Amino acid sequence: MAEYDLSKTIIPYLDRHLAFPLLAHLREASLFPTEEVIAAQYALAKGTNMFDYASSLFEQIYPGEKAPSEFDEKRTNAVSTNERLQLEAQAVLDVIQNPDVAQALRQDKNQNLQYLKDNYNLTLEQITALYTFGQFQYSYGNYTGAADYLYHFRVLSTDNDLNNSAHWGKLASDILTGRWDVALEELNTLREAIDSRTSSSLLASASANANNLQEPALAQLHSRTWLVHWSLFVYFNHPEGRTLLLETFLSPSYLNTIQTSCPWVLRYLAAAAILSRKAAAGVASAAAATPLSSRVRHAIKEVVKVIQMEEYQYHDPVTSFLKELYIEFDFEAAQRELTLAEEVVGDDFFLSEFKDEFLDNARYLISEAYCRIHQKIDIANLSERLNLSPEEGEKWIVNLIRETRMGADAKIDLEKNVIEINRPPLPVYQNAVRTQALGVAIARSGQGVPAAGPKTDQPVQAVTVN
Amino acid sequence: MSRFFRQAGDSDSDSSESEDELMPSEDEAPPKPTTTAKPAMSRFLRTAGSDSSDDSESDEESDSDSDAARGGDDAEEEESDEENKPQIRILSAVDKRLKEMEATGKVMENALKINDWMAISNEFDKLIRMIQRQHNLSEPVPVFYVRTLVNLELSINTTLQKEKEAKKKMNASNAKALTAMKQKIKKALKENETDVKKFTENPEAFEQDYLNLIARDSAPSAGIPTARPGAAGPNDQVDEFTTVGKGGKVVQFTSESIFKDLQAVQEARGKKNTDRAEQIRILEILVGVAATSYQRIRVLLALISSRFDYNSSVTSHMPTELWLSAQREVDQLVSIVASDPNYSIQEITEDYDEYIERSPATEKGIVRIHGSIISFIDRLDDEFTRSLQNIDPHGTEYVDRLKDEKVLYCTICRAQAFYDKTSQSEPLGRVVMRRLEHIYSKPDAVVQALEATVDISDVKPAMSLAQHTTTSALVHSLCVYLYKSGNSLLRTRAMLSHIYHHALQNDFHTARDMLLMSHLQESIHSADVATQILYNRTVVQLGLCAFRSGLIKEAQATLQDIFTTQRVKELLAQGVHQQRFQVMTPEQEKAEKHRQLPFHMHINTELLEAAFLVSSMLVEIPLLASIESEEQKRKAISKPFRRLLDFADRQVFTGPPESTRDHIMQASKALQDGEWEKCRDLIQSIKIWSLMPEASTVKDMLARRIQEQGLRTYLFTYAPHYSTLSLSLLSRTFSLPLRAVTSVVSKMIWNEELSASLDQSGGVVVFQRIELSRSQQLAQVIADKVAAMVDQNEKALDIKMGGTGGWGDRNDGGKNEKREQTQERRGRGERTRGTRGGARGRGARFSQGLGNQMPSHTGQRGQ
Repeated sequence: MAEYDLSKTIIPYLDRHLAFPLLAHLREASLFPTEEVIAAQYALAKGTNMFDYASSLFEQIYPGEKAPSEFDEKRTNAVSTNERLQLEAQAVLDVIQNPDVAQALRQDKNQNLQYLKDNYNLTLEQITALYTFGQFQYSYGNYTGAADYLYHFRVLSTDNDLNNSAHWGKLASDILTGRWDVALEELNTLREAIDSRTSSSLLASASANANNLQEPALAQLHSRTWLVHWSLFVYFNHPEGRTLLLETFLSPSYLNTIQTSCPWVLRYLAAAAILSRKAAAGVASAAAATPLSSRVRHAIKEVVKVIQMEEYQYHDPVTSFLKELYIEFDFEAAQRELTLAEEVVGDDFFLSEFKDEFLDNARYLISEAYCRIHQKIDIANLSERLNLSPEEGEKWIVNLIRETRMGADAKIDLEKNVIEINRPPLPVYQNAVRTQALGVAIARSGQGVPAAGPKTDQPVQAVTVN
Repeated sequence: MSRFFRQAGDSDSDSSESEDELMPSEDEAPPKPTTTAKPAMSRFLRTAGSDSSDDSESDEESDSDSDAARGGDDAEEEESDEENKPQIRILSAVDKRLKEMEATGKVMENALKINDWMAISNEFDKLIRMIQRQHNLSEPVPVFYVRTLVNLELSINTTLQKEKEAKKKMNASNAKALTAMKQKIKKALKENETDVKKFTENPEAFEQDYLNLIARDSAPSAGIPTARPGAAGPNDQVDEFTTVGKGGKVVQFTSESIFKDLQAVQEARGKKNTDRAEQIRILEILVGVAATSYQRIRVLLALISSRFDYNSSVTSHMPTELWLSAQREVDQLVSIVASDPNYSIQEITEDYDEYIERSPATEKGIVRIHGSIISFIDRLDDEFTRSLQNIDPHGTEYVDRLKDEKVLYCTICRAQAFYDKTSQSEPLGRVVMRRLEHIYSKPDAVVQALEATVDISDVKPAMSLAQHTTTSALVHSLCVYLYKSGNSLLRTRAMLSHIYHHALQNDFHTARDMLLMSHLQESIHSADVATQILYNRTVVQLGLCAFRSGLIKEAQATLQDIFTTQRVKELLAQGVHQQRFQVMTPEQEKAEKHRQLPFHMHINTELLEAAFLVSSMLVEIPLLASIESEEQKRKAISKPFRRLLDFADRQVFTGPPESTRDHIMQASKALQDGEWEKCRDLIQSIKIWSLMPEASTVKDMLARRIQEQGLRTYLFTYAPHYSTLSLSLLSRTFSLPLRAVTSVVSKMIWNEELSASLDQSGGVVVFQRIELSRSQQLAQVIADKVAAMVDQNEKALDIKMGGTGGWGDRNDGGKNEKREQTQERRGRGERTRGTRGGARGRGARFSQGLGNQMPSHTGQRGQ
């Protein structure tokens, strides 16, 4: 399964610290030799200020040997730097945490700055100390503290580049502390910032290679790529995450980003689409009670289209499963891919928690497609398709019939051990009935346009015909 | 001089003798004119009389020092005089004029003696008129004139001096004439200022240069069989030339006089009566005698440009021999400049004296010479293309000519290496583009052959095939260089060439991605015609690539646009299109002809058409079978195909197929009837496939597609007549594995193309057919139309409201996003759609009639 592991592909797009959980997962998943993973962890840790961690890793690799002395030296250095930075930052923090000040602060950053300068003699350099300290804290693993300082910094600072950097830093800290709600919020603001194309060097500070010469468009593509990767952490941990993932990744700009620079993210897109099947189906039957966009509702269709388009660039069991199921309609192949995909999902850092859910939903998809095409289905055959035993299969199918809207049409004939699906053909009136909606649309657009404007109407959202 | 003699002596003793005779006569300088010109005059008369045999004279005198030339003057003086005297011949018109001038000079001299300024004035006027005539005939001003001017000025000055002191004044009219004379002289001196200056500085050299010129000019008419231009190298020319000095008088070129010779040639350039072949010959000789790098560069620069000038007419091309020697000389030039970094050829230089030998020492650093190698290379390449355009492509001559591409390619690579070394980015970009244009459309084997010659040569460019191992890598590195260079035109062309190359290598996805991401289809309308042609070629090649890779739909969509115009040949610059309603002006026609691609670059249009029609068939026939109502039938995906099919339908009798089109039409009919085997055989028997690389795999692929589409067509056509249909029967009929049949049928059911379902236990397809009543049909049609109208309405509103921006706030989620999606994705997301919009090569002309097709395409794609 190691050939389907994406860690190596993804890690270059992550922050050093974000890569730790991934590596830890790899160690547990035992896809690769443990020594190699530890060596990688050590190499990673060496570059941070987390010396204790690094030296413990060192001991694991070379048991019995003494950790290099440079660690001690660096540690003392780091401690002193920490103290210095803390002093500087504390000064600012004292002022800000003063309730009077907190009340006096307004929306306008420039005004705030002026106010702070006039009343408390705070300069921009001092505020920048917040950033430096936050960053330093992050570097030795105190993510909560880092998040705090970076937040305060962002409230006050007017420096665009540093603000962006603080954004990324805060997001990383939130992810690493596991505060998913906050992280999600942070992610959304960051996304807005990127999409609004404010700064030409959004990425400059976030990535080590400050490539300021890049064109804005390219920089934007880069930051989007990064955002896509970072957001995986949030989306696969937040309860609402999968739907939001679909919402985000299927939006044109991010879909393009994925297609252009990181087609492997399609695995997560596909998985999310499969996982949120129930949500999509539920919404469809509940007549759009929750404001889910059509994007999410038709996620699978969209994703399949993209998978087909990008097949030459990237495919793995998860995407192949969808392809076989919805493009080739080869149920046997789909079943094969599903077996593979199950393992892949189980081993994947982001998806492993959803393994069962994934399998469940994938089965639903198979049986749904199967039932739609077939009229008479052998239960044993279908169970086989679903990798289930005949009894399990029967139970499963009964549940399926009960849950889905096939209820009225499908009947099990136990004697022959088949399901008969009697789907009445589409009444032709349905087509004509669509025109009903036109009136609504016209009325709505009539409101939209100023009274003097010409009478216009609007496209009718095609009523989804079941 | 000495070197020249050695050469001559080696070749022929006779000639060397005559050489000896001549040299002194030229070298003999008149005594320096100090106070009076008399002795000089008489010497001059003698030499001129014997020497200037017929032709024109030179006006250009160089200041090149003739230290060496003075060597044997005295010793040989007499000999030469004796030899020359008997040579009296009938004088040509030019000579007559010269004589006349001299006569005038004599009269003036006499008048001077008696201080008769009236006479002098009259005679001088005459002289001026004669000189004027010389000018008109574009012949050089004789030394004689210059000398007279100098002398007269002197006399006038002395006379005026005397006048002041003299007690007895001149008579009034004489004095008046004297002052008038003074003015005239002043004016004349001013006109010939440079010559006079040189003359006064060094009369001997001046005269010698002049004589050199005369002698050289007269040489060819003295009987040298006019050399075939460019046939022989400069060295043979020198040898041959020295042997034929006729009448004891031979022309020579020495490295000393090289600059004025050069100048003479350059002056004559572009004038009406200049004999171009003659000039080239002169320059060739000059190359042989050029001693220093500087001289060689100068002469080569002049020589190459005069070679290109040889054929001034736009329609014909440069003779091959001439081209080849030009190519060699460009090579030579590049290697000189490349080997000696102290010389630099630049398009913009500071003014420098054309007559002085310059070297790094005198210039204190780099010697900058006016000229442009890159333009020579451009010209060389263009001439090569033009000759290919003019040669009959089916003859052996064409093939022979094509072989020259190797040397041309070498030259280009050399230049690239040179520019790379000297890091001149602007010409380097151009030269890299030239190189790219030579290889991007060629199959690997040809590129390897071209590169092999480069490998052998001594100078290698930074990027070579040996280094990159595959042609794609080479093309890639060339293109990447051009992408990085600032020039946007080059970037566009490089991009297109790169895409073309990818398509040629069957790398459809990369090529398509690049084309769509470049967003070229949006801006190509404003590009120049050549780039548009390249764009069309690229798109067409992309279509062929898709066809070869078995992506039938993509191939059809890509080739669609160019075929709907029915001007494929014109759009690919492979033939001139005759327009029915408008007549092209001759200029347009000429420009059109100029744009045509040489034959070996052509994309075979018949093959193209075959690919297009076959893919259209595979897309269109099942579609035709699936639709029932007349209304829908009018919507065709591929109009050209539909037209042909209708035409074939109307035919009462169809014979056995002959042309490619016949084959495809009959195959389509067979496919419609469900006879997929017949269809396959017909398609596979098309001969033109043999032109396609990997023809057999393409045929296999086609057979497979035909099976699938045959099955689909069959199901569409005959579904109403069955209530169930066994899958195994279908599998047998279409020789497809059961799984494939199931897959195809499932797909059709899923997409709601076929109202049926599978009965797994029985292994049959169960059809559920609903007969629509007439009113139901109509209701459906009206529903569609209303929806379309609403759609249009919305579009109109969008335009009126200024884009979609305003709508975003008012609409709730779904709709707006959908729309935004379709718009944004057009760029990249939905790639094939982008391509479809793309192939409008020729700006407005091309895009006509596309507008109404777009919606249907988009709709079709959307499923």
